[in-house]
Amino acid sequence: MQRIAQLAINEEGFVFDPVQGESFTVNQTGLLIIKALKEGKSQEEIIRELVNRFEVDEDKARIDLVDFIEKLRSLNLL
Amino acid sequence: MELFIGVSGINAFDNPGPGVGVAKSLKEDKELKAKIVGLAYDAMEPGAYMDWVVDKAFILPYPSSGYEAFINRLYYVKETFGLDFVFPNLDAELPLLIKYQEELGRAGIKTFLPTAEQFKLRGKDRLEEVAAKIGFDSPRSLVITSYDELYKAVEKLGLPLMVKGVFYKAYKANTLPEAVSHYNKIVAEWGYPVILQQVVYGDEMNVVGAGDGEGNSLGVVGIKKLWITELGKIWTGVTVKNEKMLQGAEKFISELGWKGPFELECIVDTKENKVYLIEINPRFPAWSYFSTGVGVNIAANIVRKAFGMPIREFKDYEAGKLYVRFTDDLITDMERFQKLLVRGES
Repeated sequence: MQRIAQLAINEEGFVFDPVQGESFTVNQTGLLIIKALKEGKSQEEIIRELVNRFEVDEDKARIDLVDFIEKLRSLNLL
Repeated sequence: MELFIGVSGINAFDNPGPGVGVAKSLKEDKELKAKIVGLAYDAMEPGAYMDWVVDKAFILPYPSSGYEAFINRLYYVKETFGLDFVFPNLDAELPLLIKYQEELGRAGIKTFLPTAEQFKLRGKDRLEEVAAKIGFDSPRSLVITSYDELYKAVEKLGLPLMVKGVFYKAYKANTLPEAVSHYNKIVAEWGYPVILQQVVYGDEMNVVGAGDGEGNSLGVVGIKKLWITELGKIWTGVTVKNEKMLQGAEKFISELGWKGPFELECIVDTKENKVYLIEINPRFPAWSYFSTGVGVNIAANIVRKAFGMPIREFKDYEAGKLYVRFTDDLITDMERFQKLLVRGES
Protein backbone atom coordinates (compact mmCIF):
# COMPACT_ATOMS: atom_id res chain seq x y z
CA MET A 1 0.00 0.00 0.00
CA GLN A 2 1.28 3.47 -0.86
CA ARG A 3 2.22 5.44 2.22
CA ILE A 4 -0.05 8.32 1.17
CA ALA A 5 -3.10 6.11 1.72
CA GLN A 6 -2.10 5.72 5.37
CA LEU A 7 -1.75 9.44 6.10
CA ALA A 8 -4.08 10.87 8.71
CA ILE A 9 -5.32 14.33 7.66
CA ASN A 10 -7.64 16.89 9.15
CA GLU A 11 -9.53 19.78 7.60
CA GLU A 12 -7.05 22.34 8.90
CA GLY A 13 -4.25 20.80 6.89
CA PHE A 14 -2.47 18.85 9.62
CA VAL A 15 -1.03 15.65 8.19
CA PHE A 16 0.38 12.77 10.27
CA ASP A 17 2.39 9.91 8.83
CA PRO A 18 1.83 6.90 11.16
CA VAL A 19 4.70 4.91 9.64
CA GLN A 20 7.42 7.45 10.29
CA GLY A 21 5.79 9.46 13.08
CA GLU A 22 6.32 12.71 11.14
CA SER A 23 3.74 15.47 10.96
CA PHE A 24 3.34 18.16 8.32
CA THR A 25 1.10 21.12 7.64
CA VAL A 26 -0.23 21.85 4.19
CA ASN A 27 -2.36 24.67 2.78
CA GLN A 28 -5.80 24.13 1.27
CA THR A 29 -4.29 23.35 -2.15
CA GLY A 30 -2.02 20.71 -0.66
CA LEU A 31 -4.91 19.29 1.33
CA LEU A 32 -7.04 18.95 -1.81
CA ILE A 33 -4.22 17.18 -3.64
CA ILE A 34 -3.46 14.76 -0.79
CA LYS A 35 -7.12 13.89 -0.36
CA ALA A 36 -7.51 13.32 -4.09
CA LEU A 37 -4.39 11.13 -4.26
CA LYS A 38 -5.65 9.11 -1.29
CA GLU A 39 -8.88 8.56 -3.21
CA GLY A 40 -6.87 7.33 -6.19
CA LYS A 41 -7.83 10.18 -8.52
CA SER A 42 -5.79 10.75 -11.69
CA GLN A 43 -3.61 13.83 -12.25
CA GLU A 44 -6.08 15.14 -14.86
CA GLU A 45 -8.95 14.83 -12.40
CA ILE A 46 -6.97 16.64 -9.73
CA ILE A 47 -6.06 19.45 -12.14
CA ARG A 48 -9.76 19.91 -12.97
CA GLU A 49 -10.60 20.09 -9.26
CA LEU A 50 -7.86 22.67 -8.69
CA VAL A 51 -9.11 24.82 -11.57
CA ASN A 52 -12.70 24.62 -10.31
CA ARG A 53 -11.87 25.31 -6.69
CA PHE A 54 -9.14 27.94 -6.92
CA GLU A 55 -8.60 30.92 -9.20
CA VAL A 56 -5.98 29.27 -11.33
CA ASP A 57 -5.63 28.25 -14.97
CA GLU A 58 -4.90 24.71 -16.08
CA ASP A 59 -1.20 25.26 -16.85
CA LYS A 60 -0.48 26.77 -13.45
CA ALA A 61 -2.45 24.00 -11.72
CA ARG A 62 -0.47 21.35 -13.60
CA ILE A 63 2.87 22.91 -12.64
CA ASP A 64 1.84 23.15 -8.98
CA LEU A 65 0.55 19.58 -8.93
CA VAL A 66 3.72 18.13 -10.47
CA ASP A 67 5.79 20.15 -8.03
CA PHE A 68 3.77 18.94 -5.05
CA ILE A 69 3.87 15.32 -6.19
CA GLU A 70 7.66 15.54 -6.47
CA LYS A 71 7.75 16.85 -2.91
CA LEU A 72 5.66 13.89 -1.73
CA ARG A 73 8.00 11.53 -3.61
CA SER A 74 11.03 13.07 -1.93
CA LEU A 75 9.38 12.29 1.42
CA ASN A 76 8.70 8.71 0.25
CA LEU A 77 4.99 9.23 0.63
CA LEU A 78 4.39 8.30 -3.01
CA MET B 1 -8.92 -10.54 46.32
CA GLU B 2 -6.36 -7.78 46.65
CA LEU B 3 -3.02 -8.29 44.98
CA PHE B 4 0.07 -6.85 46.65
CA ILE B 5 2.43 -5.95 43.83
CA GLY B 6 5.99 -4.80 44.46
CA VAL B 7 7.23 -2.23 41.96
CA SER B 8 10.82 -0.98 41.88
CA GLY B 9 12.33 1.91 39.92
CA ILE B 10 10.03 4.48 41.54
CA ASN B 11 12.61 7.20 41.11
CA ALA B 12 10.90 9.87 39.05
CA PHE B 13 13.31 12.76 38.67
CA ASP B 14 15.61 13.77 35.80
CA ASN B 15 16.43 10.16 34.94
CA PRO B 16 13.04 8.60 35.61
CA GLY B 17 12.65 4.92 36.37
CA PRO B 18 9.81 2.86 34.92
CA GLY B 19 8.20 2.13 38.30
CA VAL B 20 5.68 4.95 38.65
CA GLY B 21 4.33 4.33 35.14
CA VAL B 22 4.03 0.60 35.84
CA ALA B 23 2.28 1.30 39.16
CA LYS B 24 -0.16 3.69 37.45
CA SER B 25 -0.92 1.03 34.82
CA LEU B 26 -1.64 -1.59 37.48
CA LYS B 27 -3.91 0.77 39.41
CA GLU B 28 -5.91 1.45 36.24
CA ASP B 29 -6.90 -2.21 35.92
CA LYS B 30 -9.55 -2.17 38.64
CA GLU B 31 -10.08 -5.94 38.48
CA LEU B 32 -6.57 -6.50 39.82
CA LYS B 33 -7.38 -4.59 43.02
CA ALA B 34 -3.66 -3.85 43.15
CA LYS B 35 -2.01 -2.63 46.31
CA ILE B 36 1.25 -1.13 45.11
CA VAL B 37 4.28 -1.81 47.24
CA GLY B 38 6.97 0.69 46.29
CA LEU B 39 10.43 -0.88 46.41
CA ALA B 40 12.94 1.95 46.71
CA TYR B 41 16.69 2.15 47.24
CA ASP B 42 16.67 5.65 48.63
CA ALA B 43 14.32 7.50 50.97
CA MET B 44 14.23 10.34 48.45
CA GLU B 45 12.69 8.35 45.60
CA PRO B 46 9.60 10.41 44.71
CA GLY B 47 7.35 7.40 44.11
CA ALA B 48 7.56 6.63 47.83
CA TYR B 49 5.65 9.87 48.48
CA MET B 50 3.07 9.49 45.72
CA ASP B 51 0.46 7.85 47.92
CA TRP B 52 -2.20 7.92 45.20
CA VAL B 53 -0.05 5.48 43.23
CA VAL B 54 2.11 3.73 45.83
CA ASP B 55 0.26 2.37 48.86
CA LYS B 56 3.32 1.69 50.98
CA ALA B 57 7.04 1.96 50.30
CA PHE B 58 9.97 -0.07 51.59
CA ILE B 59 13.67 0.63 51.28
CA LEU B 60 15.59 -2.33 49.85
CA PRO B 61 19.29 -3.11 50.13
CA TYR B 62 21.05 -2.89 46.76
CA PRO B 63 21.10 -6.17 44.85
CA SER B 64 24.89 -5.91 44.88
CA SER B 65 24.81 -6.31 48.67
CA GLY B 66 24.09 -9.97 48.06
CA TYR B 67 21.33 -12.49 47.70
CA GLU B 68 20.50 -12.98 51.35
CA ALA B 69 19.96 -9.37 52.35
CA PHE B 70 17.91 -8.65 49.23
CA ILE B 71 15.68 -11.74 49.31
CA ASN B 72 15.18 -11.56 53.08
CA ARG B 73 13.99 -8.01 52.72
CA LEU B 74 11.36 -9.16 50.20
CA TYR B 75 10.27 -11.88 52.66
CA TYR B 76 10.00 -9.21 55.35
CA VAL B 77 7.77 -7.11 53.07
CA LYS B 78 5.59 -10.15 52.42
CA GLU B 79 5.23 -10.97 56.10
CA THR B 80 4.58 -7.48 57.40
CA PHE B 81 2.49 -5.96 54.60
CA GLY B 82 1.97 -8.38 51.75
CA LEU B 83 3.82 -9.17 48.51
CA ASP B 84 2.25 -11.46 45.92
CA PHE B 85 4.24 -10.33 42.88
CA VAL B 86 7.43 -8.41 42.17
CA PHE B 87 7.88 -6.19 39.12
CA PRO B 88 11.61 -5.43 38.88
CA ASN B 89 12.12 -2.38 36.70
CA LEU B 90 15.85 -1.85 37.04
CA ASP B 91 18.55 -3.72 35.14
CA ALA B 92 20.66 -4.38 38.22
CA GLU B 93 17.86 -6.35 39.93
CA LEU B 94 17.25 -8.75 37.09
CA PRO B 95 20.13 -11.25 37.32
CA LEU B 96 19.43 -11.89 40.99
CA LEU B 97 15.67 -12.18 40.61
CA ILE B 98 15.97 -14.37 37.50
CA LYS B 99 18.26 -16.69 39.42
CA TYR B 100 16.04 -16.96 42.48
CA GLN B 101 12.60 -16.67 40.85
CA GLU B 102 11.67 -20.27 41.70
CA GLU B 103 12.63 -19.87 45.32
CA LEU B 104 10.57 -16.67 45.54
CA GLY B 105 7.69 -18.43 43.85
CA ARG B 106 7.75 -21.19 46.47
CA ALA B 107 7.56 -18.48 49.14
CA GLY B 108 4.44 -17.06 47.45
CA ILE B 109 6.12 -14.17 45.64
CA LYS B 110 5.51 -14.52 41.92
CA THR B 111 7.60 -12.92 39.18
CA PHE B 112 7.32 -12.87 35.39
CA LEU B 113 10.81 -12.75 34.02
CA PRO B 114 12.84 -13.92 31.05
CA THR B 115 14.98 -17.03 31.46
CA ALA B 116 18.69 -16.62 32.18
CA GLU B 117 19.38 -17.63 28.57
CA GLN B 118 16.95 -15.01 27.20
CA PHE B 119 18.44 -12.38 29.49
CA LYS B 120 21.87 -12.97 27.94
CA LEU B 121 20.45 -12.04 24.52
CA ARG B 122 20.17 -8.45 25.65
CA GLY B 123 23.97 -8.18 25.53
CA LYS B 124 25.12 -5.81 22.82
CA ASP B 125 27.41 -8.56 21.56
CA ARG B 126 24.32 -10.67 20.70
CA LEU B 127 22.32 -7.96 18.89
CA GLU B 128 23.16 -9.15 15.37
CA GLU B 129 22.01 -12.67 16.21
CA VAL B 130 18.68 -11.44 17.63
CA ALA B 131 18.15 -8.95 14.79
CA ALA B 132 18.61 -11.70 12.19
CA LYS B 133 16.08 -13.91 13.99
CA ILE B 134 13.35 -11.27 14.01
CA GLY B 135 13.86 -9.83 10.54
CA PHE B 136 15.61 -6.63 11.64
CA ASP B 137 18.90 -5.30 10.39
CA SER B 138 21.73 -4.52 12.69
CA PRO B 139 24.56 -2.06 12.31
CA ARG B 140 27.80 -3.84 11.44
CA SER B 141 29.74 -4.22 14.66
CA LEU B 142 32.96 -5.73 15.92
CA VAL B 143 33.84 -6.84 19.44
CA ILE B 144 37.34 -5.78 20.43
CA THR B 145 39.67 -6.18 23.39
CA SER B 146 42.90 -4.44 22.31
CA TYR B 147 44.29 -1.35 20.58
CA ASP B 148 45.41 -3.50 17.69
CA GLU B 149 41.88 -4.76 17.15
CA LEU B 150 40.56 -1.22 17.58
CA TYR B 151 42.71 0.14 14.72
CA LYS B 152 41.73 -2.76 12.45
CA ALA B 153 38.03 -2.35 13.33
CA VAL B 154 38.07 1.39 12.58
CA GLU B 155 39.60 0.60 9.20
CA LYS B 156 36.93 -2.00 8.46
CA LEU B 157 33.88 -0.06 9.67
CA GLY B 158 34.95 3.44 8.69
CA LEU B 159 34.22 6.68 10.56
CA PRO B 160 32.15 7.95 12.27
CA LEU B 161 31.31 4.95 14.47
CA MET B 162 29.88 4.20 17.90
CA VAL B 163 32.12 2.96 20.71
CA LYS B 164 30.06 0.97 23.21
CA GLY B 165 30.40 -0.95 26.45
CA VAL B 166 28.81 -4.39 26.47
CA PHE B 167 25.97 -3.26 28.75
CA TYR B 168 26.30 0.46 29.28
CA LYS B 169 27.55 3.63 27.64
CA ALA B 170 27.91 4.55 24.01
CA TYR B 171 29.95 7.35 22.48
CA LYS B 172 30.18 8.56 18.92
CA ALA B 173 33.69 8.85 17.50
CA ASN B 174 34.36 11.02 14.46
CA THR B 175 38.10 10.45 14.37
CA LEU B 176 40.56 7.69 15.29
CA PRO B 177 41.92 9.58 18.36
CA GLU B 178 38.33 10.04 19.55
CA ALA B 179 37.69 6.32 19.14
CA VAL B 180 40.83 5.54 21.18
CA SER B 181 39.80 7.98 23.90
CA HIS B 182 36.26 6.54 24.14
CA TYR B 183 37.70 3.02 24.16
CA ASN B 184 39.92 3.91 27.13
CA LYS B 185 37.01 5.53 28.97
CA ILE B 186 34.78 2.49 28.57
CA VAL B 187 37.50 0.02 29.52
CA ALA B 188 38.30 2.04 32.67
CA GLU B 189 34.66 2.18 33.73
CA TRP B 190 33.11 -1.06 32.47
CA GLY B 191 36.01 -3.31 31.45
CA TYR B 192 36.30 -5.50 28.34
CA PRO B 193 35.12 -6.18 25.71
CA VAL B 194 34.27 -3.01 23.82
CA ILE B 195 32.01 -2.91 20.79
CA LEU B 196 32.60 -0.77 17.73
CA GLN B 197 29.50 -0.21 15.69
CA GLN B 198 28.68 1.37 12.34
CA VAL B 199 26.58 4.54 12.64
CA VAL B 200 23.15 4.14 11.05
CA TYR B 201 20.75 6.93 10.16
CA GLY B 202 16.99 7.12 10.47
CA ASP B 203 14.22 7.80 12.97
CA GLU B 204 14.64 6.74 16.57
CA MET B 205 11.69 4.49 17.32
CA ASN B 206 11.01 2.14 20.19
CA VAL B 207 8.69 -0.74 20.93
CA VAL B 208 7.41 -1.74 24.33
CA GLY B 209 5.92 -5.18 24.67
CA ALA B 210 5.69 -8.34 26.69
CA GLY B 211 5.61 -12.04 25.93
CA ASP B 212 3.99 -14.80 27.95
CA GLY B 213 6.93 -17.18 27.61
CA GLU B 214 4.88 -19.48 25.38
CA GLY B 215 5.22 -17.41 22.22
CA ASN B 216 2.14 -15.24 22.73
CA SER B 217 1.99 -11.47 22.95
CA LEU B 218 0.69 -9.62 26.00
CA GLY B 219 0.64 -6.36 24.04
CA VAL B 220 2.98 -4.38 21.76
CA VAL B 221 3.08 -0.61 21.09
CA GLY B 222 5.47 1.34 18.86
CA ILE B 223 6.46 4.96 19.39
CA LYS B 224 8.73 7.60 17.99
CA LYS B 225 10.61 9.91 20.32
CA LEU B 226 9.91 13.51 19.35
CA TRP B 227 11.87 15.31 22.06
CA ILE B 228 14.36 13.89 24.51
CA THR B 229 16.10 15.33 27.54
CA GLU B 230 19.86 15.79 27.77
CA LEU B 231 20.01 12.33 29.35
CA GLY B 232 18.27 10.88 26.32
CA LYS B 233 14.98 10.37 28.14
CA ILE B 234 11.79 10.83 26.17
CA TRP B 235 9.60 13.78 27.12
CA THR B 236 7.41 13.99 24.04
CA GLY B 237 6.58 11.07 21.79
CA VAL B 238 3.99 9.83 19.35
CA THR B 239 2.55 6.39 18.68
CA VAL B 240 3.51 4.99 15.28
CA LYS B 241 2.58 1.97 13.24
CA ASN B 242 5.65 0.84 11.43
CA GLU B 243 4.61 -2.64 10.31
CA LYS B 244 8.14 -3.99 9.97
CA MET B 245 9.06 -2.85 13.48
CA LEU B 246 5.86 -4.22 15.05
CA GLN B 247 6.17 -7.53 13.19
CA GLY B 248 9.75 -7.79 14.47
CA ALA B 249 8.53 -7.26 18.03
CA GLU B 250 5.91 -9.99 17.58
CA LYS B 251 8.64 -12.29 16.25
CA PHE B 252 10.81 -11.41 19.25
CA ILE B 253 8.00 -12.83 21.37
CA SER B 254 7.18 -15.85 19.22
CA GLU B 255 10.66 -16.89 17.99
CA LEU B 256 12.49 -16.35 21.25
CA GLY B 257 9.62 -17.34 23.53
CA TRP B 258 10.35 -14.16 25.47
CA LYS B 259 8.79 -14.01 28.90
CA GLY B 260 8.11 -10.70 30.59
CA PRO B 261 8.32 -7.07 29.51
CA PHE B 262 10.86 -5.70 27.04
CA GLU B 263 11.77 -2.63 25.06
CA LEU B 264 13.39 -2.74 21.62
CA GLU B 265 15.28 0.40 20.67
CA CYS B 266 15.43 0.81 16.91
CA ILE B 267 16.61 3.16 14.19
CA VAL B 268 14.13 3.05 11.34
CA ASP B 269 15.22 3.95 7.84
CA THR B 270 11.87 4.37 6.09
CA LYS B 271 13.43 5.06 2.69
CA GLU B 272 15.26 1.74 2.60
CA ASN B 273 12.56 -0.01 4.69
CA LYS B 274 15.17 -1.08 7.22
CA VAL B 275 14.75 -1.40 10.96
CA TYR B 276 18.06 -1.51 12.82
CA LEU B 277 18.03 -3.08 16.27
CA ILE B 278 20.13 -0.89 18.56
CA GLU B 279 19.33 -2.19 22.02
CA ILE B 280 17.17 -4.71 23.87
CA ASN B 281 16.03 -3.82 27.37
CA PRO B 282 14.66 -6.80 29.32
CA ARG B 283 12.25 -4.64 31.31
CA PHE B 284 9.79 -1.80 30.87
CA PRO B 285 11.05 1.57 29.64
CA ALA B 286 10.36 4.70 31.71
CA TRP B 287 7.61 5.69 29.25
CA SER B 288 5.65 2.42 29.49
CA TYR B 289 2.52 4.19 30.76
CA PHE B 290 2.18 5.54 27.20
CA SER B 291 0.99 2.10 26.08
CA THR B 292 -1.59 1.99 28.88
CA GLY B 293 -2.74 5.47 27.88
CA VAL B 294 -3.51 4.28 24.34
CA GLY B 295 -5.42 1.28 25.64
CA VAL B 296 -2.74 -1.42 25.80
CA ASN B 297 -2.13 -2.17 29.47
CA ILE B 298 0.85 -4.49 29.19
CA ALA B 299 1.79 -4.39 32.88
CA ALA B 300 -1.71 -5.45 33.92
CA ASN B 301 -1.67 -8.26 31.36
CA ILE B 302 1.57 -9.61 32.82
CA VAL B 303 0.00 -9.78 36.27
CA ARG B 304 -3.17 -11.31 34.81
CA LYS B 305 -1.12 -14.01 33.10
CA ALA B 306 0.91 -14.68 36.26
CA PHE B 307 -2.25 -15.20 38.32
CA GLY B 308 -4.21 -17.13 35.69
CA MET B 309 -6.68 -14.33 35.09
CA PRO B 310 -8.04 -13.77 31.54
CA ILE B 311 -5.71 -11.76 29.32
CA ARG B 312 -7.08 -8.60 27.73
CA GLU B 313 -6.66 -8.90 23.96
CA PHE B 314 -5.33 -5.70 22.46
CA LYS B 315 -5.68 -5.97 18.74
CA ASP B 316 -5.01 -2.38 17.94
CA TYR B 317 -4.02 1.07 19.11
CA GLU B 318 -4.25 4.39 17.38
CA ALA B 319 -1.23 5.92 15.67
CA GLY B 320 -0.70 9.63 16.25
CA LYS B 321 -1.38 9.69 19.99
CA LEU B 322 0.87 12.12 21.78
CA TYR B 323 2.85 11.49 24.98
CA VAL B 324 3.93 14.44 27.09
CA ARG B 325 5.94 14.00 30.28
CA PHE B 326 5.91 16.83 32.78
CA THR B 327 7.39 17.58 36.16
CA ASP B 328 5.23 18.18 39.18
CA ASP B 329 5.79 19.02 42.82
CA LEU B 330 4.44 17.71 46.08
CA ILE B 331 4.54 19.14 49.58
CA THR B 332 4.39 16.82 52.55
CA ASP B 333 5.60 16.38 56.12
CA MET B 334 9.24 15.80 56.95
CA GLU B 335 8.07 12.94 59.15
CA ARG B 336 7.40 10.79 56.11
CA PHE B 337 11.03 11.15 55.03
CA GLN B 338 12.26 10.48 58.57
CA LYS B 339 10.12 7.34 58.82
CA LEU B 340 11.43 5.98 55.53
CA LEU B 341 14.98 6.79 56.47
CA VAL B 342 14.91 5.45 60.03
CA ARG B 343 12.46 2.55 59.76
CA GLY B 344 13.03 1.73 56.12
CA GLU B 345 9.30 1.80 55.32
CA SER B 346 6.58 4.39 54.94
